[in-house]
Amino acid sequence: MALPSQLGFQDAGSPLMEELLHFHDHALMVVFLISTMVLYIIVAMVTAKLTDKLVLDSQEIEIIWTVLPAIILILIALPSLRILYLMDEINDPHLTIKALGHQWYWSYEYTDYEDLGFDSYMIPTHDLTPGQFRLLEADHRMVIPTESPARVLISAEDVLHSWAVPALGIKADAVPGRLNQTTFIVNRPGVFYGQCSEICGANHSFMPIVVEAIPLEHFENWTSLMSEET
Amino acid sequence: MAGEEQENNNNKGFRLLGILDVQNTPCARDAVLHGAGGSLGAGLLHFLTTSRVKRSFDVGFAGFLLTTLGSWFYCRMNNAKVRVQQRRIQDGIKNKIMYEGSAHDPANKPGAAPPPLGPS
Repeated sequence: MALPSQLGFQDAGSPLMEELLHFHDHALMVVFLISTMVLYIIVAMVTAKLTDKLVLDSQEIEIIWTVLPAIILILIALPSLRILYLMDEINDPHLTIKALGHQWYWSYEYTDYEDLGFDSYMIPTHDLTPGQFRLLEADHRMVIPTESPARVLISAEDVLHSWAVPALGIKADAVPGRLNQTTFIVNRPGVFYGQCSEICGANHSFMPIVVEAIPLEHFENWTSLMSEET
Repeated sequence: MAGEEQENNNNKGFRLLGILDVQNTPCARDAVLHGAGGSLGAGLLHFLTTSRVKRSFDVGFAGFLLTTLGSWFYCRMNNAKVRVQQRRIQDGIKNKIMYEGSAHDPANKPGAAPPPLGPS
């Protein structure tokens, strides 16, 4: 989850999010160097001699400040396009889950397992136990196995919602009457939090998403347990 | 609680110009330090040969940009190679555990090294 006053991304839980983090670091380095260059030029111009103001044109500098931005843009665009196409790869998911947005909770259906479905409501602040996170915890978590490609089909039953888990690099709109698909692999066991990311009414801020990644054998036990309960 | 405070302190990186977190971004600290060294070296060398102060500053700054970028790309490419190797090793270990003793076991393929002899 995000820490208070955190500016950067959360630690990555999926290979895709790792790639996004690396690309972000790369883009920030380019931004830092450009900012340093601009700062240096400002200082140089402020400290320049007044006689230098009579220089009217210079072919060399014109070529440099045309070619250099083009090179910088290519340096940013190439890894960006690589990630863009990487995000659209479908890698034969082992598990399919439907995430449906309602006002104001999520419901999850594991149709690979018979009759496994449940609603996920936010735990109200007054019901939290010590150690739980305010406005982030849900009574039923979406459980997935680690190291297994999973597909989530996202839709909504009433108004627009958006299913987002920043640590996994996932965000997809939940549109009534439409199925949006996202696939991902979780690298490590853990609990990953997200929040609804499309304004959907009074309790838009109070319908969190909680994804719990556990090893496969425990996941099988969990599905058996949940099927018996439902 | 102490662990959380330590984690918070570790996560508060130092941001150059408020942009680049040199503590928590892999390769950033090394790249900036190499750039500083390259800048100093290039600027000093130019000044010693030409005695032109302002131009030496310009050369020094250009040296900073080029050295930082060069060090950054070199370090990032090495990191990427290590990451790919790490994933291959992880997949290899997982496949070995999963397929050991079965028809898909890579050790069963012709030309593979024979397994070590166990106790009789």
